[in-house]
Amino acid sequence: MLEIRHFSKSYGGDKKAADDVSLTVTSGDIYGFIGHNGAGKSTTIRAVVGVLDFTEGEIYIDGHSVKDEPIACKQVTAYIPDNPDLYESLTGIQYLNFIADVFGIDAAEREKRIRHYADTFEITDALGDLIGSYSHGMKQKVAIISALIHEPKLLVLDEPFVGLDPKATFTLKEIMRDMCARGAAVFFSTHVLDVAEKLCNKVAIIKHGKIIDSGTMEEITEGHSLEETFLEASNG
Amino acid sequence: MDSKSILLLKTLLLSTSPRNIYAHTTDKKKRRKIVLGYVGTAVLYAMLVAYSLITCIGLGFAGTIDVAPALCALTISALSFVFTLFKTNGYLFNFKEYDMLMSLPFEARTVASSKYLYMYLKSLPWYLCVSMAVMLGYAIIAGPGIWAYPLWILLTFFLPVIPMLAATFLGFLIAKVSSRFKKTNLIQTVLTFVFIAFSFSFRFIVEGLFRDDKIQEALAKASEATDQAAHIYAPAGWFADAITKGNVLSALLLVAVSGLLFAAVFHLLGNSYQRINSALKSRAASRNFEMSEQRRHSVVNAIAFKEFKRFTSSTIYMTNAGMGEVFAVLLGVVTLVIGFDRILDIVTREAPFDHSILQPAIPFIAYFFIGMVATTACSPSLEGKNYWIIQSLPLSMKSVYQGKMLFNLYLTVPFMTFSVLCMCVSLRVPVLDTILSLVLGVALCAFSTTWGCVCGVKHIRLDWENEVEVIKQGTAVTIYLLPNMLVTMGLTALVIFLGQHVNHGLIALGFTLIASVLALLSYRRVLSLCKA
Repeated sequence: MLEIRHFSKSYGGDKKAADDVSLTVTSGDIYGFIGHNGAGKSTTIRAVVGVLDFTEGEIYIDGHSVKDEPIACKQVTAYIPDNPDLYESLTGIQYLNFIADVFGIDAAEREKRIRHYADTFEITDALGDLIGSYSHGMKQKVAIISALIHEPKLLVLDEPFVGLDPKATFTLKEIMRDMCARGAAVFFSTHVLDVAEKLCNKVAIIKHGKIIDSGTMEEITEGHSLEETFLEASNG
Repeated sequence: MDSKSILLLKTLLLSTSPRNIYAHTTDKKKRRKIVLGYVGTAVLYAMLVAYSLITCIGLGFAGTIDVAPALCALTISALSFVFTLFKTNGYLFNFKEYDMLMSLPFEARTVASSKYLYMYLKSLPWYLCVSMAVMLGYAIIAGPGIWAYPLWILLTFFLPVIPMLAATFLGFLIAKVSSRFKKTNLIQTVLTFVFIAFSFSFRFIVEGLFRDDKIQEALAKASEATDQAAHIYAPAGWFADAITKGNVLSALLLVAVSGLLFAAVFHLLGNSYQRINSALKSRAASRNFEMSEQRRHSVVNAIAFKEFKRFTSSTIYMTNAGMGEVFAVLLGVVTLVIGFDRILDIVTREAPFDHSILQPAIPFIAYFFIGMVATTACSPSLEGKNYWIIQSLPLSMKSVYQGKMLFNLYLTVPFMTFSVLCMCVSLRVPVLDTILSLVLGVALCAFSTTWGCVCGVKHIRLDWENEVEVIKQGTAVTIYLLPNMLVTMGLTALVIFLGQHVNHGLIALGFTLIASVLALLSYRRVLSLCKA
């Protein structure tokens, strides 16, 4: 579903934000991407979702090149950034309708999906309010619903659990599991290692832009906790 | 335009529509502000219509009503070019919701062209005001055929397109060049300054060319100058031809060239849009910082320094708030190099008058540029989502706004002093009068700073999507700017008149006193707003 081959990115400084990153996420995977602050997680994620221009390496989504066929890639992908910049002067429902229009979802279907996810995240009552009046967590919920509304094949999330209440966190984890059970794939960055350990079947650890370890959870941890493995790898 | 462009354009308009906020907010204060905003905008539209109509009637009295269509086209073209150049960085490039939009299945050129059309539609009412007022004046005085009116209205929609595309393309080139450097922001700001300064001086360059061709006499008349300008800027000529001669070919040419240029510019722009934005939104990290001895500042100075960093971190902020200072310095340097007398000859087309009558107006001439924008008018709103930082710190709002005012004084006083000094030296103003002019200049800076702060605090707006909304289009900036400009122009005329009858030193002293009292009153108002 997602294949990153030898991806590198430099912002003009001496150091590379991402350095020869390669990994593969297949259908049904919940793939965790972990690393220190500034390790290169967001750079890699922004390149995957077609926001960041890059010249070194290749990224494929569902067989399409992000560089050459960005629209085909974005059509099957959904992205939730760590701090979603939504249109604050739109109401929640206006924003969700905009996203549904972009993906060409018909009126009946969008109503069904919005109702379902909004009820699940307990935000239906607030959909008529301006996004500017929402708390961070509520904005995050709207961003999540907007990402799920077109039933993507690949869900890319950057620190998705930040600002979510415990129930919403649980719900999102259930949705991620459910999506993967239906053949989609999830690729997300997180600092919450406990969550990653319980949720992911695969994980990659990135340090100073380089992947220092990747594979299935069992291969990576070798019987230790993910936290121990991560600390050992990142201090090594 | 495809359906996705229309969808994005509609959403962009809706997302910045005060009407939408009004419909969905229960905050009465916010609603009242929106209504006042609409009333203020309506007043500005009315002022623009009145000014344009009076200008047109003036042309009629001068017997040169024939140039009205060309003048209208040139005015709209010049305004749309300059305003778009100021806005490309922030609207087209480096905008806040870039990540969100680019992660959706939109072509890069769809995003870019929708942003352009958004800028076009948001500024169109201003151009329509100018055009409709001139059309009305032209109708009353020249009485063209009935066919001219629909043609005029239709072509007005196309008049801003080409200059806006030219400004967009320049903005694109500036962004493209800047994106290749580590210090993208600095390069972008410098290049924008250069292009804007060039745009403003273009008129004089053109006139200089004609002077060399010995047709100075022809330019002595405003109508012929307008004709010449319309000849140089072909689209204005096409518009004038279509209206005055009923030339359908000219009308079609304007429409066709606008359409073709639109397609060409966005084809070019779309190809490198993602690369440019990626570079502009990224910051190189060298990670080589070494802790050294740190310095302690007073609270007010610390806030002023924070304001300085905020100022230099934004190309939009610097080009808008710093443009007046740059012009003031340029004016000072040019007066020293070329001479104030020569500049007056160029500006007044060698009108025979005693240049020394302008001596008492020197601080006001410098203030016309420096006082155009006060950072204090927009800096409270620019806190935006970072407002919590100053709110949660153990700071009084008084200290916060004192810091903001101090920064504006740091920014304006040196440039004011330099500019006034250069003009005084060039005009050989006596030493005592020079000193008094400098003091008056400083008092005007103090007034600009405190009055700007009153507007900025009173009309603070933190929920903006794009900083252009508060730097260029904010209520605070508009309320600061318009009376300030009108009063400056009025005072300049008044001191010139008084200067012919009263001692120049006394005039400077008198106006220093007035400016100081106004500054003090504004400062007290800021303090009372802090308590409110």
